[in-house]
Amino acid sequence: MKTKYGFERKFRDQVLRCSSCGFCQAVCPIFGLTFRPALNARGKMLVLQEVMDGDAELNQELIETLFQCTTCANCSTNCPSGVSVPDIIKEARKDMVAEGACHPAFIGMNEALKMRHNIYGEENSEDFERERNRKADYVYFIGCVGSFREDEATMETLDLLDRLKVDYTLIDEVCCSGVLEDVGHRINQDLVNRNIELILATGAKKVITGCPYCFRTFNDVNSYKGLRDAGVKVIHISQFLKDFDFDVISDMVVTYHDPCDLGRHCGIYDEPRETIRKIAPNFVEMPHNRADALCCGAGGGVRGAYPANSIAMARRRLDEVEQVGAQVVLTECNSCLHNLANAKLRSQKFNIYTTAQFINMLMTESGK
Amino acid sequence: MDEKTKRELIEIVGEDCFTDRLIDLISYSKDASEHKHRPEAAVWATTTEEVSAILKLANQEMFPVTARGAGTSLAGLTVPEQGGLVLDLGRMNKIVEINIEDRLAVVQPGLVYADLEKALAPHGFFFPPDPASGKVCTLGGNVATNAGGIKGAKYGTTKDYVLALEVVLPDGRVLHTGSRCMKSVSGYDLTKLFVGSEGTLGVVTEIILKINPRPALTSTAMATFQDLEDAGRAVSEIMYCGILPSALEIVDQQTLIAINQNTDLDLPEVEAILVAEADGHTKEETEYQLSKIINIFKKNGAGSVTRAEKPEDAEALWTARKSAYAVITRINNNIFVEDLTVPMSKVPDMLRAISDIGKKYDLKMPTVGHAGDGNLHPCISIDGTNPDEMKRMQEASAELFKKVIELGGTLTGEHGIGLAKARFMKMEHDDVAMDVMRSIKQTFDPNNILNPGKMGL
Repeated sequence: MKTKYGFERKFRDQVLRCSSCGFCQAVCPIFGLTFRPALNARGKMLVLQEVMDGDAELNQELIETLFQCTTCANCSTNCPSGVSVPDIIKEARKDMVAEGACHPAFIGMNEALKMRHNIYGEENSEDFERERNRKADYVYFIGCVGSFREDEATMETLDLLDRLKVDYTLIDEVCCSGVLEDVGHRINQDLVNRNIELILATGAKKVITGCPYCFRTFNDVNSYKGLRDAGVKVIHISQFLKDFDFDVISDMVVTYHDPCDLGRHCGIYDEPRETIRKIAPNFVEMPHNRADALCCGAGGGVRGAYPANSIAMARRRLDEVEQVGAQVVLTECNSCLHNLANAKLRSQKFNIYTTAQFINMLMTESGK
Repeated sequence: MDEKTKRELIEIVGEDCFTDRLIDLISYSKDASEHKHRPEAAVWATTTEEVSAILKLANQEMFPVTARGAGTSLAGLTVPEQGGLVLDLGRMNKIVEINIEDRLAVVQPGLVYADLEKALAPHGFFFPPDPASGKVCTLGGNVATNAGGIKGAKYGTTKDYVLALEVVLPDGRVLHTGSRCMKSVSGYDLTKLFVGSEGTLGVVTEIILKINPRPALTSTAMATFQDLEDAGRAVSEIMYCGILPSALEIVDQQTLIAINQNTDLDLPEVEAILVAEADGHTKEETEYQLSKIINIFKKNGAGSVTRAEKPEDAEALWTARKSAYAVITRINNNIFVEDLTVPMSKVPDMLRAISDIGKKYDLKMPTVGHAGDGNLHPCISIDGTNPDEMKRMQEASAELFKKVIELGGTLTGEHGIGLAKARFMKMEHDDVAMDVMRSIKQTFDPNNILNPGKMGL
């Protein structure tokens, strides 16, 4: 099939397979907020069907729907026809950017990343008071949000790794650059190579990531094949921590927010819960949990492009924290942490942490 | 639609609740059927007053109005065939009242079925007609299509539960039908007239539903049949043996083959599987009913009969039936879920006919259905981009419905006529019936502004 669009070459059959049953409407976080069918996965697939039929142009008019998707994958998880909506959206965004129809929030993002090497365009990250790029068993890869926005959570996590006597090193990491693929650009191979080189130079055979998105990028994206070929295994901090005993207990009511990137995208639901149950026997689930969990609203570039809706989605999630009477909500993603913390109302008295951060705080408190 | 009309609509609903943006027009151009047509604008109404003002304006300016809930219709009911305005009721989604003493719930039309279920559960109550799209479909849509579900044989369909309606008529007047009472024969039954009227007579803005206490327990069994006729006889006998199963579902051979090709369930590829469920308040009660059903299965030549001992086992027995749709939708890129009903004794004849028609037109037509009320869903799976397959699908579908009528059946059990079956209406309804239906439409909607082009009127 001759077509100028990558999404059509790769996903024509998938887009056609959307039978417009509308079942995705029940789980789409943006539809749940706006009640606007155009923003739901079905609306997006209909738009792309029209583009393939030549009845609509892939232009500025479509930005509002095609760039307003957190790629949370709740639609594809529940799709009877098995349509991989997030993959299709990501590909269509690339076509849009090529057509000059990029969301203003992401124009030039690829260029900015070349200059500053992080998604926030900031000059220097917190140095976390640790030697970098040394020989070690593990590399701890923080990720942009953990480095530039949630550095407190990162610091606590690093302290925890020290307490657990883990032989790890930080590196002069640059953005994994996977996020570029989410917002219509191509991955930056220079940044990728730099991360690979720095990781390999440490001699570490394992990378622990603090960010589920970096975790996915390292493991799934072809550009990082060099890492896999060298026998380096990449795991998420939640997988690493589940084998430890912490010898601390919190009597607080604790709940857990499944990050979409870790849960629906990677199927990691049990490891975080195993750890949390060890330290917080008063663990409660929110009404939407595991594969059914509500998205925090930050992903897929939505926090940057549609901040009001992004925060409103996070509020819907926090309503559930209140509903179950939790005093602490834990998550395994700095980006979720960041969005949920930004959305928290002053009247909401619970605290939001990453699991590692919370464990370290408990250990500090008990003097362990 | 001219700019002046659009401005007037904005005055009624406000800037935020009006759209003529391309992405919205595309999203409102389709439901779950193959039909498609863009509206010229859409509004999200939030009050009865707004709906009234919108219809008054439409009636005056003579533009079509298609009311819409979740847009899950399988027959084109919510496709704005003649353009005009889509009236999205999804934001009118409140539960106004749950009144256990009077055994009723008052809801707005945009409320999602599953949300009502969730609200009724703590009271030990439920709203029995449970469409497969229950997680997403709205109660307004259920009323407009007179939706059914797998519990139809015992609990009936939506019409059996609608006590009263608030309806905005095309001229903007607000009509109240029915009452909050369990019994009422006061005047014509206007309520029933609107249930299943597919948004062609008025726009429902409030619904009073009868609700049922939920039986606490269920017992489930599954039987395999090498011979379709045996399964058919078993269905008939179950339905007149004195008990009513809360569900009695059939899965045909083509579906079983499709499931086996796409999953590791390894189901027996027999001519039919029947799954039966009995509900009640004590184990004794449900087991008694199920024993009767199982005896009938055996008497009618069932190959194997599996009885669920625990709730998890029941889930496993339902797997074949419940995974059917997801499997069938993946056979090809397009699926047409047909809907027909025949008298229960004719279920085997109809299943044979479906199989023969599928062979004749070289189409895959796996079929599942609510055997307990004779309601079958042949699912025609084709490549929608292939004009030849589309043509064969249309021809097969025409032959299917000819057969349905021959067997004394009806064109639709629960999906409605909409656009998909408008062309077959005269096959089932004679000139007198069509005439009376047209007069009713004319009385309520003389300017034909409400969902025009539907039901073959």
